[in-house]
Formats: sequence, structure tokens, C-alpha cells
Amino acid sequence: MGAIRREFLKTLFQKRTYIGWAGLFLVPFLITIAFRFSSGGPGSRGGQQDVGEQFFQGIRTNGMYVSIAALLALATFLLPLLSSMSGSYTIAGEAENHTLRSMLMQPIRRGTFLMAKWFAANLYVAIGLVIMGIAALIAGGAVFGLHSITLFSGQDAGIAHALGLIAASYLFVFFAMMAVVSLAVFFSTLTNSSLTAVAAALVLTIIFEALQAFSVFDFLQPYLFTSHFSDWTNLFRSPVTWSPIIKALIDLAVWIVGMSGLAYWRFRRKDILS
Amino acid sequence: MSASTYDSALDAQLPLGCDGRPIVLSTHGLTKDFKRLRAVDNLDLSVCRGDVFGFLGPNGCGKTTTIRMIFGLTYPTKGYVQVLDHKLPRDRVEALRHLGGFVDDPMFYGNMTARRNLRLFGEMNGPVAEERITEVLEAVGLADRGKSKVGGYSHGMRQRLGIALALIHNPDIIVLDEPTSGLDPQGMKDVRELIRELGARGTTVFLSSHLLHEVELVCNRAVIMSKGRVIVQGLVSELHPASHAVKVLTGDQSKAWEIISAMAAPGSARHDEDYIVVDSGDGFVPEMVRRLVAGDVDVLAVVPAIEQGLEDMFLELTAEGEIAKSAGAPPAGAGGGK
Repeated sequence: MGAIRREFLKTLFQKRTYIGWAGLFLVPFLITIAFRFSSGGPGSRGGQQDVGEQFFQGIRTNGMYVSIAALLALATFLLPLLSSMSGSYTIAGEAENHTLRSMLMQPIRRGTFLMAKWFAANLYVAIGLVIMGIAALIAGGAVFGLHSITLFSGQDAGIAHALGLIAASYLFVFFAMMAVVSLAVFFSTLTNSSLTAVAAALVLTIIFEALQAFSVFDFLQPYLFTSHFSDWTNLFRSPVTWSPIIKALIDLAVWIVGMSGLAYWRFRRKDILS
Repeated sequence: MSASTYDSALDAQLPLGCDGRPIVLSTHGLTKDFKRLRAVDNLDLSVCRGDVFGFLGPNGCGKTTTIRMIFGLTYPTKGYVQVLDHKLPRDRVEALRHLGGFVDDPMFYGNMTARRNLRLFGEMNGPVAEERITEVLEAVGLADRGKSKVGGYSHGMRQRLGIALALIHNPDIIVLDEPTSGLDPQGMKDVRELIRELGARGTTVFLSSHLLHEVELVCNRAVIMSKGRVIVQGLVSELHPASHAVKVLTGDQSKAWEIISAMAAPGSARHDEDYIVVDSGDGFVPEMVRRLVAGDVDVLAVVPAIEQGLEDMFLELTAEGEIAKSAGAPPAGAGGGK
């Protein structure tokens, strides 16, 4: 725990930590303001014609939907960006600042060091999601009020039930972001430039997302972690459609373990020359 | 500053060297290749308990690469490092509990204060009391800057902070990579005194330097390295060839050269910048001064050329052509030496 505490303390001493969290805090307020002062929404411009449209359209009458809409809006770019940044700084950022050698000259196992960094990077993302969720409830509740929601299957879910579903959705997205963090940590062990690692992780994530748009790559879909970024919407059915959720969790777990394992394998034998 | 404490029972189990003192740090056939470049070539050296050991060599000779392997930052291609009874890289964590120091420039978190940095790094090797932080900051002359962010520190201040961190747990062995680099003359003097004090208190110090004078001033034993290889190893006093040379400065160096070269043995007098350097024997200097005065040459200074012997030997030993010819060594010297 000492190693994790130390790594998280270092995170708290960086300005970019607060910039990322501030962004996640602001987005729900921006969504709320946008819906409060406009008659249209993402759906009215011809986009977002999917299950998420119901959430966006529901915002004007129920602030509870703000937290869901924020998750839909950010799960494809801002959250992967912050996750990439968080994961990329772990090793490459320290190497860039030449503090990696100072840390590894202390008696700590490389595996412990890497895992503490991985954990702290994920903790950063988790706190960001909590901030976003709370901000969404505050903004949505203040402007539109918090009421029971209507599930895709047509039934109503009371406030407590809805809050539980929203918490589970955020947890699911956090798990998906852990895959991005793990990918970024792996790239971070390959370079001494955090920007290179961020770019590599983000570009790969965006390419995976782009592949979803072409049917010729459909055979890849089950294996891409990005395919599961919106699978949490299956929670908003009664009964819950567990099959895609469980499959998504298994796929994401494979990515998380695989990328973290590769990072460990690489970092354990890496010559620290920075 | 607390004296270094060490386990005398453990010392009894260590191999002996250097007049019966235990060997606390050694390298055995240590070799490091970077692709086609051999930076360290079959390096064998031994540092004994209480040594202030000079690790001397020109820039790029493999000193920093060796220190990186001592700290387990890079992996040897062949061979190993032994710290007390721990072998690196296998027992890296245990070995690092007994080591302090830095390689290249000591680096810290610029957005944290010096005190927080010392606590953060220090606690990786056990609890650190606030009093101890104050003590080491005082030892390196940074007591009044402990609450300043390290990002605002000069290079010299970071060097001092690096030494403070090295001292924080009173390690058995302190490894310093060119610790006076970037310091002003007073800072260099302070650091050298600190190193001498550490040696006097029983701490083993491994001092990497490319400054001969520095090694002569503070070290009792030294190794001279070139092209990744040990050229010579032993007591500094033994490495230092006996030299009776004197440096002569007069009001008329041309006339003085005629007089001195006429009375000195062939080849024993030479020019060195503004001075005439001459190997002196018994009664040589008084006779030389008498002749210069008789020749109406003002004698401004006659000083012993104390550094001449070791410097000549160092230059000779590390001269590229000679080393390559004698050792048959491939090109070497990677690893980011300062």
C-alpha cells in the first residue's frame, strides 16, 4: 500500500491531474446548460441515432439522464484520452523527467513499482468518473430535478434503482478504461517520451473505434476493447441483458491482464538509461 | 551526522582484501554491450570496508555504465556486481538497502519541496524521521532551503540534495557519480570535506570522477579505467609515481631554460605552459637557484610539481592509441558519462 500511496501522492502534485478532473466536472454542467437553453439535442442534428438518444431526449424532463448522457458523450474520446495520459505517464513520464532512475535506485521491486503505478493511474481515472457522476447529478438535479427513469424495455426504475444502474454503468466504463490505461502503461514501458506513449495508446484506441464503422472488419469486433465501450447500456433493460455485459467484461479483462502482463515483462528487463 | 553502522558479523563472512579488510563492493567480469558497442569490458574491481575509492577515467570510458549496473538500473551482458553478500542483478532489492548515492545528475520531483522529496525517496528504504531530514540537509548546507521546491534549485543544489538523500539511511556504501560536477569552488571544497568525513566515520565511498586532483585529495584507493577496462588499481599513494619534479618560474624564461637545461640530465627538463618543469635530485634546487641568480635571472617561484606524476601516468594510460594497442579492445565508452 505504501507504494500505491506514494505514486498517488505524486499524481496529486501534478497540475494536469486537476485539469483532467476539472474537465470531467465541467462536462455535465455544459451538457445541462446546452439542454436547458436549446430546443434541439444531439439527436435533432441527425447524429447519435442509437439507444443513447432516449437518454439525451429525456434530459429536459429528468436530470438523472445527465449522468448517463455524459457517460455516452465522453466514453469514446475524453475518457480514453485521460486514461491514455494517466497510463502513459507511469514509466515514460518518469523517464522523461529522469526521476525513473532515482526511484529505481531505491530498494523496490520493479514489479511492485509498476503495479503501484498502474493502480495509481487507474485510481486517477476512477476518481475522475466519480467526479463526473457527482457533477452530473448536481447539475441535472439542480436544473431538471431527479426523477425515476424509463428503461429501454419500457418499465420505470425508481430513483434508488436508477442510481444503482448509473453506478454500475460508471463501474463498467471504468473497467473499459482500465484496458486503455493498461495499453498506455505497456506503451509507456517502450519509450522515454510520455507524449509518444499517449499518442500510441490514443491512436490505437481511435483506430479500433474507427474499425467499428466498416462492416468488412466485423470479424474483429469481438476482440476490440473499444467494441464494448457502450455495452453498459444493456444494464438499462429489465430484465438486464447479462450476456453481452459478461462477454464484454471477459474481453476487457483479457486486454487488461494481457497489456499489464506485457508491460511487466518488458519493464522487468528494461535497461534504465534515462 | 551519524556514523555509519554495519554488521560486523556479516563482515566476518565476507572475503578479505586490502590489508585484511572485508570487500563490500566488487564487480566480477562485469561486461556491458550496447548493440555492437562494448561499454564495460570484463571489469573486476574490489572496494573494501572504509575505502574512499576513486573510480577514475576520462569521459565516456564506462564509469557511469558501471555505476548503473551497481545500482541495478542496467543489466550486465556478462558478470555480476556483489554488494556485501548480495549479487546483482539477482538480489537487487537487498543490495540497494545497503547502497546510497546517485548516477549522473541526481534528479528529484521539481514540484515538491526538498524535504518532501527526501521523505518520499527515503521512505522507500524504511521510516525517515523529520529530524533525520533536517540533519542531512544541514550536512550538505541546504537546511535553509528545505522547504523550497526543488524545481527552483540550481544544478549545484541538486547535487547537494543528492548527497543528502544518499546519507539519509546511513548506508554501508555511498556511490557518487561526479559529485562536484557543477559546483562552485566553495561547494567543491565542502563536498570533498564531506566525503573525507564520511570516510573517517567508516562509510565506504565509491567516488566516480574524471578529476585526478579530486581523487588524489579524497581517496585512499583508486582504479583508473579506460575504454571500459581497468588499467590500474591500487592505493592512490602507490598509483602516484614518485616525482621530484619542480616547476620554475623566472623573470626571463628563455635564459632560465638555457641555464637549467645545461645543468639538468638530458630529457629531464621540459616546458609546461608558463613554467619550466625539471626533475630534481639531491641539492639540485639550491644549485639551480644559485646559477639562475648568478646569471642575473630573477627567480619568481620554485614549486613542487606534485600532480605531475599521476597526471602524466593518467594521460599515458588512457591515451587512445596505447590502450587500443595494448588491450586490443573494441571501441567502447557508451552509457552517458557526464
